Amino acid sequence: MSYNPLSLELCGVSLKNPVIAASGTFGFGREYAERMEVSRLGGICGKGLTLRGSAGNAGERVYETRSSMLNSIGLENPGVKHFVEHEAAFMRSLGPAVIANLGGHSEADYLEGAELLNEADIDLLELNISCPNVKAGGMAFGILPETAADITRRVKAISRHPLMVKLSPNAPDLTAVARACEEAGADALSLVNTFLGMAIDVKRRRPVFDNVYAGLSGPAIFPLALRMVHQVCKSVSIPVVGMGGIASAEDAIRMILAGARAVQVGTMTFASPNTLLEIIDGLSAWCAKERISNLQEICGII
Amino acid sequence: MAVIRSNHRIAAGVYRMTVSGVPLGRAGQFFMLRVSGVLDPLLGRPISIFGADAGTGETTFVYQTPGRGTALFADLLPGQAIDAQGPYGNGFPLESGGAVILGGGIGVAPLHQLAKELRASDPKRRIDVFLGFREEAYCVADFEQLSDSVTVSVGGIVTNDVDFSENAVYYACGPAPMLHTAAEQARAANARFFVSLEKHMACGVGACLGCTCETTNGRKRVCKDGPVFEYSEVQHVL
Repeated sequence: MSYNPLSLELCGVSLKNPVIAASGTFGFGREYAERMEVSRLGGICGKGLTLRGSAGNAGERVYETRSSMLNSIGLENPGVKHFVEHEAAFMRSLGPAVIANLGGHSEADYLEGAELLNEADIDLLELNISCPNVKAGGMAFGILPETAADITRRVKAISRHPLMVKLSPNAPDLTAVARACEEAGADALSLVNTFLGMAIDVKRRRPVFDNVYAGLSGPAIFPLALRMVHQVCKSVSIPVVGMGGIASAEDAIRMILAGARAVQVGTMTFASPNTLLEIIDGLSAWCAKERISNLQEICGII
Repeated sequence: MAVIRSNHRIAAGVYRMTVSGVPLGRAGQFFMLRVSGVLDPLLGRPISIFGADAGTGETTFVYQTPGRGTALFADLLPGQAIDAQGPYGNGFPLESGGAVILGGGIGVAPLHQLAKELRASDPKRRIDVFLGFREEAYCVADFEQLSDSVTVSVGGIVTNDVDFSENAVYYACGPAPMLHTAAEQARAANARFFVSLEKHMACGVGACLGCTCETTNGRKRVCKDGPVFEYSEVQHVL
């Protein structure tokens, strides 16, 4: 078998390429498995889980903005137990690395959720301390270095899976949060989750979303996300997975040049489901053209 | 990738587009249409199937241009490509017996393919069509070819024309107030009644959970579990 220039290792897990479907944009893989070759992906990050599941938010949930979208889904999910019993094995059968994303409303929720996930055959646990759409918890844990470090330390102590902490771009001092998570034992970091944004319906003179604020994602945020990934990569020595508005193989290369080991792609999958596969093909073609034997050679050279 | 065969205006702000190169869908299903490579507007627009022609392999859409996304579709010319993902969604069930079809505004689009399938599945069945428009009627002749009667109301309340106590199955697509009134009449008459819902969605395949609605059978995704529901299942969201 010929050498794969896209292969990498992330927290002891072998990925065939650095392209991962981002949490909240790919369900648990079922919907897209019907329509594309999901086996070609490097990894799939499942929909954000909470201990007991959630019906999500009422009112409008998605709203398109310029080259971007706002969402206020509110972590609608079937709960950790359902995931362990009904989704994890299916995700494993698809082929790509399996990442479970865990959110929480309280520290106890995170810990009980992480404990239950010890029963699941997953490769990585992505700790979501950055969802802007749930009132109690979520992003509240990821804004300050102290709370982020505390929840990271406690989950790390009980989880048997490598722990990747997903950071919020809404933190006042993102690199401080990143360093705190590294010191608390995180095996990797992923960033950025969505930016807190807002939409107003002029006709009704009201906010579009019941929660008033919502999470902004999509190509419009890419330069902001790239800058933040670069800053965090300069601040920590654990692997970083970059995301935020990636729309092409070139964007993925930019993230990797900035220091990301791997990338997650989310909103563009909604717009054009083949984007993930086009990025993988584009990375392969670029490595061949640039005579790069492994893409990781360029990781963080900027 | 679909190729546009024709694309022209049929009423104020309403267009009819025929494409080739996509799998044929069923009545009530939809495609996510998007101008290829454009990032603003970013997301596809869910556009239902007006006609799926097994003979030519072509699919026809009738769409409105309320915003920038759909306005870009109107500028596309025959021969140009359009990104068409689908067909998505469950589609209308073809129940036996007579059918009453109730459409409001651009909601008439999926009902045309429905009338076609109902006629093809049972050429003898009776099909009565009621179409309501705010200012200008369109597609009326298309329905006349497929049904026993077409009643058109412009600027009125189309549900006033419909008797829900006939021995028939009722189907509707249109603005929320119309569906709400129709559902109340259907409940009073204990009619079998299917509605096609519309909600903002990002992906169209059931992944984003942007179009979730509470039903009597739990949470359902309008794009994947719908858009067609039995009215009683979704009555409180109508």
